[in-house]
Formats: sequence, structure tokens, C-alpha cells
Amino acid sequence: MADGLQAVGLGKRFPGVVALEDVSLRLEPGRVMALVGANGAGKSTLIKILTGYYETYEGQVEIDGRVVHIHEPTDAARAGIQAVYQEVDTVLVPTLTVSENVLLNQLRSRRGTVLNWAALHKEAEAVLERVGLTLDVRRRVEDLVLHEKQMLVIARAVSQQVKYLIFDEPTTSLSLPEVEQLFTIIRTLKAQGVGILYISHRLMEVTALADDITVLRNGRKITQFPADEFDFGRVSEAMLGTAIQDIYPPKAANAPGDVVLEARDLTRRGKLDGVSLSARQGEILGVAGLVGAGKTELLRALFGADALDGGRVQIDGRQVALKTPQQAVNHGVYLVPEERRAQGVLVEEKVGQNISLPFLSQFSRALGLIDRLRERTHAAHTIERLGILPPNPEVEVKNLSGGNQQKVVIGKWLTGQPRVVMFDEATQGIDVKAKQDVYRIARDLTQSAAVIYASSDIDEVIGIADRLIVMHDGQVVAEFTTDAFDRNLILEYATGAREKETHDRG
Amino acid sequence: MTEVSPTQAPPASDATSGDGLRGQVYDFIVKYGMLVAIGILILFFSTQNDAFLTINNLFLIARAVSILCIVAIGVTISVSVDGFDVSVGAVTGLSVLLSTSLMVIWNVEWYLAILITLVAGLIVGLLNSFFIIKLRIPDLLATLGMLYLAQGAQLMLTQGESVFRGMFNPWNAERVQTTGDIAEAFKQIGQGFILESEGFRGIPIPIIIMLVIAISAHVFLQYTRWGRMFYAVGGNREAARLSGIPVDRIRLFAYLISAVLATIAGIVLASRIGSGAIRAGDPYLLDAVAATFFGFAVLGARRPNVFGTVIGALFVGIMLNGLTMMNVEWFFQDFIKGFVLIASLAMSFFLVKRNG
Repeated sequence: MADGLQAVGLGKRFPGVVALEDVSLRLEPGRVMALVGANGAGKSTLIKILTGYYETYEGQVEIDGRVVHIHEPTDAARAGIQAVYQEVDTVLVPTLTVSENVLLNQLRSRRGTVLNWAALHKEAEAVLERVGLTLDVRRRVEDLVLHEKQMLVIARAVSQQVKYLIFDEPTTSLSLPEVEQLFTIIRTLKAQGVGILYISHRLMEVTALADDITVLRNGRKITQFPADEFDFGRVSEAMLGTAIQDIYPPKAANAPGDVVLEARDLTRRGKLDGVSLSARQGEILGVAGLVGAGKTELLRALFGADALDGGRVQIDGRQVALKTPQQAVNHGVYLVPEERRAQGVLVEEKVGQNISLPFLSQFSRALGLIDRLRERTHAAHTIERLGILPPNPEVEVKNLSGGNQQKVVIGKWLTGQPRVVMFDEATQGIDVKAKQDVYRIARDLTQSAAVIYASSDIDEVIGIADRLIVMHDGQVVAEFTTDAFDRNLILEYATGAREKETHDRG
Repeated sequence: MTEVSPTQAPPASDATSGDGLRGQVYDFIVKYGMLVAIGILILFFSTQNDAFLTINNLFLIARAVSILCIVAIGVTISVSVDGFDVSVGAVTGLSVLLSTSLMVIWNVEWYLAILITLVAGLIVGLLNSFFIIKLRIPDLLATLGMLYLAQGAQLMLTQGESVFRGMFNPWNAERVQTTGDIAEAFKQIGQGFILESEGFRGIPIPIIIMLVIAISAHVFLQYTRWGRMFYAVGGNREAARLSGIPVDRIRLFAYLISAVLATIAGIVLASRIGSGAIRAGDPYLLDAVAATFFGFAVLGARRPNVFGTVIGALFVGIMLNGLTMMNVEWFFQDFIKGFVLIASLAMSFFLVKRNG
């Protein structure tokens, strides 16, 4: 039999759901296989089978022609299969040093009771060198930034003689240079003969890395082809089952209305450096910029979530203090935050109770007693308006998919009287259909409010915005209007390749 | 991970019900296990001792439990905002000493003594909130500090002496005998009955106080928008804040309520024992925490809830009363309590995990 990891007819069922059905694919040493698919296509299920997360499943896994039994994580590790997840924090010990984390799995089997720190650090450095990573091995992991942690996890996999390495959406929160560094490492590993399975939503990355592409949809393998036959239309059609249409709603037809929000010289030490902007009713103001450019900080400052060191904000021409989110909400300034599970929803609560949360007084009678009937009716109405699935206010939010959770976050604000609605990375990790819905809702909101839409996906900002500002290093470095969106120019500003023009304020 | 796989996202209809008979058994245990356990406990004790299931004994249990209940409801409210108030036992003790010494040593009218004690309780709650919200000391540590402060204040108040009628005034250089007394009206709070009639001793007033507090707290947490906000803050403080909820104010209220309820419990306790015993409040802390976490298991709530806490406190009370009537030595009782607490926590956490 040929070399490589061969998955044969893998399948996994849950009560009432077929998560994965009869999927076969082959990872060859020294090749990169890309795995693409919409949310719920079965990508995560496939990874979980291969890494031993599930005890039982259908089908089998063969390595070099021999069947390997993978029923728990140690089985996978023994077979040389490792995974790098997007959420690296779950596999690292923050209070330990880089060295200890790199060699974590080996600490247990070391001889002797006393740790030889010098030897430990030296060994860890050698491992890091193999993946081309320079990092002070004595630092504590809690002091590292995300992409350093990610590299560390890769290094650890390498230290355990990894033969097959799985990447699950590794670039979601990385900046461009960090993505480049990651790709370099992946290519190094590939050259060393590691078989790589690369999962991503981003088709551009897939073309940059992969040798072969496999498309999953609804738990089944739809097609597989060599990467040089890549065709954007073909892949997205295979992913979605239908030809892709323009997912962005039409731009504003009329000239924008009055200025609703006017911010001047917002400053927060080390984060925001004299940011000014205005947002008008009837238009979507895009905020483009890389991860860490200050977009989140800007929106949070406007929402009163973080304290400012300086700056002024006017709403509808009146000076307002937005020192707490509560004050912002009272002025009709709403935020759909970056991390929906941690900041947007109460996952243990029901959909209906999440939706009513910001404006509970609207659902209260005397003595603050909640009118549950009215609350439920309103929730049902919101659910219908946003197309939340399942359409049931009594379901706990944790049982919803990412896209539907995001709609709940948006739905919370529809109860109020919005003046400014801000979206921060609102479509991260949700499927195309849900994205389309989010764009449509954002567009609808411009009828009564100004919308500010921030994203590190530049194409998305270009697609949704009527006007956009580019942020870099805590500053607004450029402003563009619809007819003058120039992707390359925007990218140059966002990456800092082009400096802010001094006369562009006006 | 960005993708929500079917394991994390079972269809809604399956979210609470398990698979087949096994699942149904789990469901039943998770939901009704605590109540069934209490039923079994009552049945068992009543077969062991005829006096157990009499109205008088049940009232005795309820009266003994009522003080614990009041303290435990305070703890429950602090836990509902994802906080933890461990100063409650010491605050109860401080309240006992303060209310009695005001009357005995300083000859303060009984209603004024109550008022001053309640104000002291409010101050304790304010201090707790200040430590936790403004100084950002983790709640467990801040209230642990307050535990010592309250205990120390309690001792300093009378220079370590218990308060009783005719005690020597510790603050007087000649240590003259005090002339104050614990008023009869004050004693009624803990010892009195209402609705007395022929052949019926009446309902002990502490039970009435406890019921009023329990029902109001239950309605507050379950049915009002403030209660909803308490749970929202407890569920995810950041998400609550970003929904425009005044998180700091809610947490302040939670610690105020907790301290005031501990203070009320202290007043009832002082009235019931009719004197100011040093450190009388101490045992209530652990029992109140236990009752709160017992409450997690009642009706599968898995969150702090007043109804569960009251049931939990009853459970503790019934167990102790029954064991005492069966002449189980007192030194076994803590061990049994610990054992039962672990069993009930296993019920609410372990089984639910497996089921979900």
C-alpha cells in the first residue's frame, strides 16, 4: 500500500443529525491538503475523529496501509497526528514558561525528579529553531501574543515527531505578516515530509498553500481536485451547492442624511491616536484595517466600554458623555462586539431572554415584574425578522450555530431606537448564508440610523460600505468614498506601506 | 473553533431530554433527586421516631432552619451575580453582639438598636462592594477579609465578653454592672408566635420572617427585571455590561442585600437566644454555603436560586434534627453533612454533564 494517512469511509452520527457520512481522503507526506466547506459541513467533526476526540465513529483510519485505532487523543498522538486549533489557549498552560509548554508532554516521562532547567531551555530552543521561531523560552506563555502561542503549539507538535499536522482555521485572528510567517513554517514542515491538512474559510489562503483541495458539504465529500485546477466559482459552488451571487446588498441609493455621530480626536494611550470620524444616517461607514489597527478599540471607545484619555463625541449635534455602555445605549449607540460568545450573548440563557436583555424595562410592569407574554411575543417577532434558526425563543443560545448566535446579538438591539449601530468583525466564523443576512440587516438599519462596520477583511468592508476609513496603528490614515474604493490603495494604507497624507483631513 | 459542531449544538428538542430510558432516569434524578432525597429522609426519620413527624417538631425544625435560610438567601444572591460572600457568618455574629450590647450596655431602645444594627449591616455591604468593585479584590478574598474585620469588631465591641443582663460594663473603668436589658418586644422576634389558639402553639415568628424574605427574594430573582439582570451579570459580566446593564450597581446591590440579610438573621438569632453570645453566627457561613449549592441540584436548576436554597436549608435542618433525635452523636454530624453535600453536588453537576 502507498504511504500516507488514509481515511476510509469516516462517518459520525448524533441523535437526529448525520454530522459526517462516508468521507474518505488521503494525506500524503510532504503535501498540503486543503479542506474547505461552509459551517456545519463536517470539517470539525472530521478533525475530531482524526485527533481522537470521539470514542466511536464509522469507518477507519489507515497509516501506511495499516489500520490504526484512534479512540482517544493519545492514540492520535502515538500515530503522529496533531492538530493546531484556532483557540490555542485551551492547550497551553499560561503560568508555565515557553520551554515547559513546548516540552509539556515529555516532562512526565523524563528521568529524575529534579528538572535541569538549562537543559530544558536548550532543548526547547532547538525545537523552536526547527520551525524557524525565535522566542525567549524563559517567558511565560501568558505574556505571549496569539500568533506566538500558535507557533508554540506547532513547535510542540514538531517536538513529538508529528507526521500529520492539522490546522483548523489558523489565520482567523492573525495579521498579514503573521500569516506570512505561519505559511513559511507550514512550507518548512511540508519540505520536512509532514503531511498537512489545512482547514480554512479563506479560499485565497487555500490557493497559496494547498496541493490538493477537498470540499465538504452537509457532512459529505463533494469533490476533490488538484490545487492548480482551482477556480473560485467552482469551489464556492461546491461549498454552497448553488452558484454564488453577490452576497453584499446594494449600496445606498440616496445621498446620506444628517450626521448622527461626530467624534473628534479620540485618544487612548497606546491604542487610539487622535481619531476623528463622522457617521451619517442612511450610510454604512466601513472601518478597514488589520488586526490590532485599533478598530475594536475605536468602537469600544464610542460605546463607552473603555475609558478614553481625550476626545469629544456628539450625537445628533449634541455633546454627549459616553463613559459607560449604559450611557451609550441610552443615546441609541449600540455595539455588536467582536467576540459574540464572550461579549455578545449569555450562552446559558434562552434566546428570548437574550433579546430582551438591554431593554428590559420595555417588558416590565409595576414593581419591575416581567411581562413574559410580551417578552415572548417580541422575541418571536425578532426571530422571524432576522430568520433565526430554530425559530423558538425558548432554546438556549448555546444550542445555536455561530451565525444564529450573531443574529441574537443583533436582535438585542432591534428593540431599542438605534441612532448608531456598530458592527465589529460581525461575520467572523459564520457561514456565507448568515453573512449575507448580517449584511442585509446592517443595510436595513441605515434607514433609521448610522451604521459603522469594522472588519479586518478588506474585501468585506469594500463590499458593504458606502464610505470607508482605513486605520493603522491607532490612527485613521485614509478615507475613501464608494466610487473611489481602490483595494490595493486601501491595503497599502492598512499595512502601513503608505503613510497618512497630512492634508487629508478636512 | 469557529464551527459549531453537532455535539455542541444538539437540536433544541434534545437539549434537555436524554436518550431513551437511561436518559429519562438521568433527567428524573437531576430534576427531582433532591426532593426525593428529602422525602426519603422524612420517611426514614418518622419510622425511627414517632415524635419526628409532629407539627411541633416540624415547626421546631423550621424555626431552627429559618435563620440559616435568611443567611443562605443572602449568599445565594451574592452567588447569583457570580460573586461570593463568605463574610455572612461573621456579620451575623456581629449583628448579634451589636444589637444586644446596644440594649444592655448602652441602654438603647430596642427599635433603635435594630435600626443601628441594620445600618451597620449596610455599611458592611458597602465596604464589601468597595473592596470588590472599586479595589478589584477578588470577592472570595475581600469577603474573607471582611469576615475577620466583622469578627474582630464583634470582639472589640465588648472586649471579648458575651452580652447578658446584668453583665459588667467592659467600657467602664470600675466595671459597674450594666442596667440595660434585652427588651421583651425584641425577644418576640425570635421567640414569639402568631395565630395562637387552643391546642395550637401558633406559628413561630422567625418562620414568618423567613417566609416573607424567601418569597420576596424568589419573586425578585425570578420574575423581575432586576433579577434578570442579576443573573445576566452572573452569567457573563462582560456581555451584560456590553448590553448596557449597570453591572457595578447590580453587584453593589447584591453585596448590600447579602450583608443586610446576614444582619437580619443576627437580630433574629440574638432575640431567640436572648443574649449576645460571642461568635454565635460562625456556624451559619458553612451551612449557608452548603444550602446554596444544595439548591443548585433542586429541580435541575444548576444555578443559584432561592427556592433551591430554602429546600437545601430545610434538608440540612431535617438531617440534623433527625440525626439528633436518633441520638447520633454531634461529632458525626459534620461528616454526614459533607457526605450529603458531595452527593447532591454530584447530582447537579456530574449527571447533567453526562446527559448534556
